[in-house]
Amino acid sequence: MPFDLTVLTPHLDTLLAGALLTAEVCALGIVGAFTLATALGLLAVGRGWAGRLARLYVDVFRNVPFVVQVFFLFYGLPEVGVYIDAFWTGVLALGLVGGAYGSDVVRSGILAIEPGVVEAAKVSGLSRLAIIRRVVLPIALRTAIRPLGSVFVNLVLSSSILSMITLDEVTGTARGVASETYRPFEVYAFLLAAYAGLTYAVSLGIDALHRRLNRHMAENGAAPGATHGVMGRTA
Amino acid sequence: MRHAGFTWHDGALLAQGLAVSLGLFAGTFLIGLVLGSGAAVVRHFRVPALGTLLHTGLELLRNSPVLVQLFLVFFGVPALIHQPLTPVFAAGLTLSANTAAFVYFIAVAGLDAVGRDQVEAARAFGLSRVQLVRHILGPQALAFAVAPLVGLAVNQLQVTSLVSVIGVVDLTKAGDILNLRTLRPFAVWAMVGVLYFAAAKTLTLLGNRWERRLRAHAAPLGL
Repeated sequence: MPFDLTVLTPHLDTLLAGALLTAEVCALGIVGAFTLATALGLLAVGRGWAGRLARLYVDVFRNVPFVVQVFFLFYGLPEVGVYIDAFWTGVLALGLVGGAYGSDVVRSGILAIEPGVVEAAKVSGLSRLAIIRRVVLPIALRTAIRPLGSVFVNLVLSSSILSMITLDEVTGTARGVASETYRPFEVYAFLLAAYAGLTYAVSLGIDALHRRLNRHMAENGAAPGATHGVMGRTA
Repeated sequence: MRHAGFTWHDGALLAQGLAVSLGLFAGTFLIGLVLGSGAAVVRHFRVPALGTLLHTGLELLRNSPVLVQLFLVFFGVPALIHQPLTPVFAAGLTLSANTAAFVYFIAVAGLDAVGRDQVEAARAFGLSRVQLVRHILGPQALAFAVAPLVGLAVNQLQVTSLVSVIGVVDLTKAGDILNLRTLRPFAVWAMVGVLYFAAAKTLTLLGNRWERRLRAHAAPLGL
């Protein structure tokens, strides 16, 4: 059976519907992950019990496989009376794990801020909240944009795992198409290339955003193409 | 009669699953380490067509979900070559290649971090390419790469949880089996999570110790 991608043409709209669902769950998950990452990153810098708790959270979610987390949320929680459907379980799981990986990035972004900057803000009489909102976060997030982007790209890749909890996102629909056409190689090769193309495009976008946000900073030019880091892959 | 409670045998099942997960991780990580660093050396010496080919292939592996890679190897390849693959073989192949892709990019960065002048000096002394890699590039690149490699190892251990989808009875699959019998998913997945967590923490601890040893040796050289 020779390699023939044309067998996919009748199923393109099914796959596209799956891709749309992937996009939705990922977009919502990334919004949640970004919010959680910022909050946890701010907390994790602290020395008190809140900081310790935030670091413990990150530790747990980084060291337990994503599949196990998803199974726990989808199959485990109903046992104690919490029912969430597959889509929102997916959003929740992506948000929780992305928040854990992202908070490390935000935290190191905050720790990299020159102490003098924060001291100057304090001396100027800015309130704690104003310092966080106007000084700390803008600087930290600007340097963190590239590694954060890498976390989000990994989140998109991990969303394929949600097909295991009956969510028919693009990997789930691809499984259906593969068993319908009896051409699994073509289907999965196409899917693999599609994911790679998408992540590559996103990496380019993040590179451009990073350059734009950091255009005033001369020496902050990390090696180009380093967007997609090896760390922080959720699985 | 339905045996729904947890028994001592369940502990054995989980232990067996954990052993399979750890074994698969250790095997594929070692193979990936060898393949990935080999590819990085090929790239470092700018071997014409092979270097580009490897780079493109490994970039593709790094930028796609492991789950899809597993499906491609386990379901796709047999359909193409008309030859069934066993789940363990497909899982081993996929995870090795996937690890190699990530190791490759770490190793490339490590090799690039070694100064050009050292390479030139070594060549001036008449060292062959093999000697150059073994005595000059290898040890220093490893010192640079050890921290990201430890991070990758912890990550790769978690990635092995995906092989349960193609029927390998690893820790996740053991949890699945246990869950089907006891119908206590909350406890089962919490237990599986704790086991993975413990394994990952142990690995991090070992990795950090190894890193300290490597760095202690490298510190006087100003690395």
